[in-house]
Amino acid sequence: MTQLALQHYLAVGAIMFVIGMIGFMTRRNLIVMFLCTELMFQGVAINLIAFGHFHGHLGGQAFVIFVLVIAAAEASLALGLVVLLFRQRATLDADAWRELKG
Amino acid sequence: MLGPSLEIGAALPSAPLWFVVSPAIPTLAAAVLPPVLILVLCVVAAIGTLLLLPGRREAALRKIGGAVLLAAALILVALLVRAAAGTGGMGVYFWIFSAVALVGALRVITHPRPVYSALYFVLTVFATAGLFVLLWAEFMAVALVLIYAGAILVTYVFVIMLAAEATPTSGPMAGMAEHDAISREPLMASAVGFALMGVLLFVIFEKADGLTAKPPAASLTYVHQDPYAMSPELASVLAAGNPTTQPVYTAPADNKPASRPSFSSEWQQKVASLTYSNQDPRSRPAMPPTGFVPQGGVQELGAYLFRSQLVNLELAGLILTISMIGAIVIARRRVVGGESVTHAVGGGETVIGPATPIDDDPHSIPVYGTENPRQKAYPET
Repeated sequence: MTQLALQHYLAVGAIMFVIGMIGFMTRRNLIVMFLCTELMFQGVAINLIAFGHFHGHLGGQAFVIFVLVIAAAEASLALGLVVLLFRQRATLDADAWRELKG
Repeated sequence: MLGPSLEIGAALPSAPLWFVVSPAIPTLAAAVLPPVLILVLCVVAAIGTLLLLPGRREAALRKIGGAVLLAAALILVALLVRAAAGTGGMGVYFWIFSAVALVGALRVITHPRPVYSALYFVLTVFATAGLFVLLWAEFMAVALVLIYAGAILVTYVFVIMLAAEATPTSGPMAGMAEHDAISREPLMASAVGFALMGVLLFVIFEKADGLTAKPPAASLTYVHQDPYAMSPELASVLAAGNPTTQPVYTAPADNKPASRPSFSSEWQQKVASLTYSNQDPRSRPAMPPTGFVPQGGVQELGAYLFRSQLVNLELAGLILTISMIGAIVIARRRVVGGESVTHAVGGGETVIGPATPIDDDPHSIPVYGTENPRQKAYPET
């Protein structure tokens, strides 16, 4: 196998982030859109840990802890709002709220 | 520095594996992938993803899209494997974990049913945790599994179950809602996304020559310095001894605070001023009072958090508390008045009207399932 280098981990993180971004832009289900933002968090976390290990510093891991905290807080609030929005229009389609656009 | 200053390698007979073995990961010296190839692979993968995203296409076309994507990924992997020679048992696990993570991520965004997306995301989280373990971040791996797969994803699955809606029972889109079956702008999204991925991969593999790894030994070897130890000034003052014949301090017989003499001699005052407990607390470094020496990854991470990221840590706790309070406030709003959008949710609870709060009076917030006698009607009605 190849010599494992920092670029490999960064590439995995970048690809995961871009996949999450594509999913967020593409899917119309509100819950799946939030799942894709969590995917973007995963990509960023891989990058942070890889850089932290590369420099021999614990700051990468500490910031992944904070990313986890933010993701948990955002997930709880977002899902609460999604449930309320669902009750309003009886659908999870993001396009049901088009008049909020712009 | 007088006082117990430990060097991790020297003082401990068996140093923890984490400090000794974990090397910093190097960077690739030469260019691995020519940029044109990255571009071509990204275009091919974009087409494959485009075909795989939910849409009104036939199943066969989507399978072709999946196969194209898989081929692009395999070509990329083969190129990377062939580009550099080397050994290492850890390499196999990296490829396995990253392959599972990326395939799981792709299925998250391309599967039309949201429950399957959530389950594939759990798979992705586990694979990412494996990558963390390879990077010597074992605590983060476990924390990721606990928090993400254990808490956040379970919440997602619950909400998916709660927010279920009517779906067509037959036809090509059986069991799927219309907004799940068809993506929104898949062409533009794939194009933009893979353009970004091409640029990112180009920068990572071509322009990473400037990355220099700091030697891990210097920053990882944590020399424990006890700030509660005697400062050199105090040690020299004490060693010089009391120039006067006054005794240093003798406790009075009744040991009452009122009868204790204050430090009167100049030598005593100097000792008192140099003593740790009399110094300005703000000048003390944030260190634990005991001779605590962190060993291993988790303890080091904890010591680092409380040593250098204390404010961030407290802010994170504050954010969690605020979000918890906010979620409770959001969830307890009851919907009343206005026009009706009647919909039976799950257990038959009927919900009518807009979900806007009536007013900000906390007494008007009812608890679900109860009748609030002080509930006010909507002001305009």
